Amino acid sequence: MDQQHFSHPRRNFMRGAAAAAGAAALTHPLSVLAQGAEEIVIGGSIPMTGVFAFAGVGINAGIQDYVKIINDAGGIKGRKVKYVPEDTGYKVDVSVATFKKITSQNKVNLYYGDSTGFSKTINPELERNGNILMAGASFASELNDPKKYPNQFLVGPDYTEMFSILLKHIAKEKPGAKVAFVYSDSEFGRDPIEKSEAEAKRLGLSVPIKIMTPAGSVDVSTEVIKLRRAAPDYTIFHGYILAPIPEFITQGKQQGMKSKWMGTFWTMDSSTVMKMGEAADGFMGVMPYRYYYDTEKAPMLEKIRAMRPEYQSTAYMQGFLAAMLFLESAKRCLDGNKPLTGANLKAALNSLKDFDTGGLIGVPITISGNSIPVGRVYQADVKAQKMVAASDWIKL
Amino acid sequence: MRIGTLKESYVADAALFDSRTQHAWLAIAAVLLVLFPFIASDYWLYLACLVAINVASATGLNILTGYTGLVSLGQAAFMGLGAYTVAILQTRYGTPMLLNLLAGGVVAMLGGIIVGIPSLRVKGLYLAIATIAASFIAHFLFANFEITGGTAGLSLAPARVLGMDLDTSFRLYWLIVPVTVLMLLGAANLFRTRIGRAFIAIRDRDISAEVLGIALLRYKLLSFGLSSFYAGIAGGLWAYFFRVVTPESFPLSMSIFFLAAIIVGGMGSILGGILGAVFMTMVPELLKLLVDLLPGGASLAVFLSPVRLVIFGALIIGFLVFEPLGLAEVWRRVRRFFHLWPFRN
Repeated sequence: MDQQHFSHPRRNFMRGAAAAAGAAALTHPLSVLAQGAEEIVIGGSIPMTGVFAFAGVGINAGIQDYVKIINDAGGIKGRKVKYVPEDTGYKVDVSVATFKKITSQNKVNLYYGDSTGFSKTINPELERNGNILMAGASFASELNDPKKYPNQFLVGPDYTEMFSILLKHIAKEKPGAKVAFVYSDSEFGRDPIEKSEAEAKRLGLSVPIKIMTPAGSVDVSTEVIKLRRAAPDYTIFHGYILAPIPEFITQGKQQGMKSKWMGTFWTMDSSTVMKMGEAADGFMGVMPYRYYYDTEKAPMLEKIRAMRPEYQSTAYMQGFLAAMLFLESAKRCLDGNKPLTGANLKAALNSLKDFDTGGLIGVPITISGNSIPVGRVYQADVKAQKMVAASDWIKL
Repeated sequence: MRIGTLKESYVADAALFDSRTQHAWLAIAAVLLVLFPFIASDYWLYLACLVAINVASATGLNILTGYTGLVSLGQAAFMGLGAYTVAILQTRYGTPMLLNLLAGGVVAMLGGIIVGIPSLRVKGLYLAIATIAASFIAHFLFANFEITGGTAGLSLAPARVLGMDLDTSFRLYWLIVPVTVLMLLGAANLFRTRIGRAFIAIRDRDISAEVLGIALLRYKLLSFGLSSFYAGIAGGLWAYFFRVVTPESFPLSMSIFFLAAIIVGGMGSILGGILGAVFMTMVPELLKLLVDLLPGGASLAVFLSPVRLVIFGALIIGFLVFEPLGLAEVWRRVRRFFHLWPFRN
């Protein structure tokens, strides 16, 4: 009864061969095609599917286009730039897996992360790696801390700074106004509220009410009643993309509210605001970048319009600008003959003083910490289906 | 071919692995598990740790849903309880790692028992809805208290063992995989005992089980408690692995992930839990690898990513259509083929 105990010798050999092949596959760190010897690599955990896909697709296109512009012009000091994105579905564990995969296949210098959660989770890994400068789709105030997050930066103002820009504008337009905050019950929503309330008081404004809505809530009628009773002059929405803002505005107007309605970055894309329909008329908000169709003199915008004839979202602008800042930092590093390490790249980024973004941001920018505290208030013009500038560029 | 497997004692009959071939395979598997960290890259180590955590949690859910028949959509909430307990103990009190894990398991177990109380009156899909409440209650607890760090969550320092920080996937592997293996053995053994058989009786017909003398109250709550203990330990390992816990880390979709894992893997068998968790974690990554092999690079990624998700969903549906008993049944069919070879049946 040998066959009971020992398998057929051929089967044994096949099993052994399979095991050996498997082991060989695992040792090989997936780099079938190794990168070029002197390439600058931008890795990306991009949310191309999932809840954030509308932004992810735009961000991906933005980074791709800028990398193409640079490569077509000969690269950075002769080095070509390679962009390696992967989809994450906006899930943190998948983002981390993507990060590990891309960093094991390529020598990554610059990385784009898809969420606040990912940025916080990967921070210890970034410090251990030491060779990567990271930016992302997040504008969380927590990340705006150069001591805690030395290898990361935000591609624009953080949420607290966005509120400050809006509050500054309000204080100029109507001193002593009443400003209501309406925000979602999530980390995203709660982020700037406390500090912004203090900032409002500092600017001589009052905050008569702060309304927190549960995530994903659809019926906001009770909250609208509370809002109406507070009778604010301005209402700032934060922590949402679209819903339930149109509900608030429609019901508020029906109940006779005279408030002006404002939003922050992720609400302010042109197509998102126009989806509000009639409620969008007069809707204002803070946007750190120019819109695709802005007619003010902006050489980069013209290049973008030449490359992409159809409307590109503000997420595209964010990705484009992120790539621009990445590659400018790399260029400055290489100009100073410094190796591309995280610390050197960050120092190069912080050396950006009055840097001209080619018109993507309307004023020259200086990045002294982890964020770019510049923005402009735009207002929706429903007839023209466009967002028009309602203020100058406000620098904090 | 496997013939003449006669047993001469009850002990031999109840053995989990009874043939020399199985022992040989187990030995090879053990050797591979030990060698794996030394030959694999960081990416595969990360995935291995993630798979192990998911296997542990899926096994817990299998005990509850697969063996006891109580459908639960609260697994992520219990993992969250375990993860937050570990995070709070680690950041506030600096207690040793194993103690934190056990505490996480116990806290999750208590949570599970409380959530399980409706199971005495409510069955099937209605119980599943009741367990969804666990997700919302857990989220509320995590997001609204100072001690859990509010909506920003908590960041953990790495676990410290013998003066060494467990901060790389390599080091965490040696924590996560042995714990998971122990939990698997525990679960497998559970179903050789009286308690395990009581669970199976409850699943098959709980009224008959009660008639036979199985105290439904005790055993259903025990099942919930045990399953959430497993979830709590898995959650604690999760906390040490990712080192950031936020209220958004354990959404309802994670509970659905585990339910899908055990359904695809095969409910009611330990192997099913393992295969299901491996399938749900690895197939999206393998599909990404396949997509990478296609020429095109970055520009195609935007178009192929949704296609990848569609294929993943189709694979799940395909497996269920062609093998409703799950991947474990596919495995058993392959085994039967080798056992009966060169005969057909």
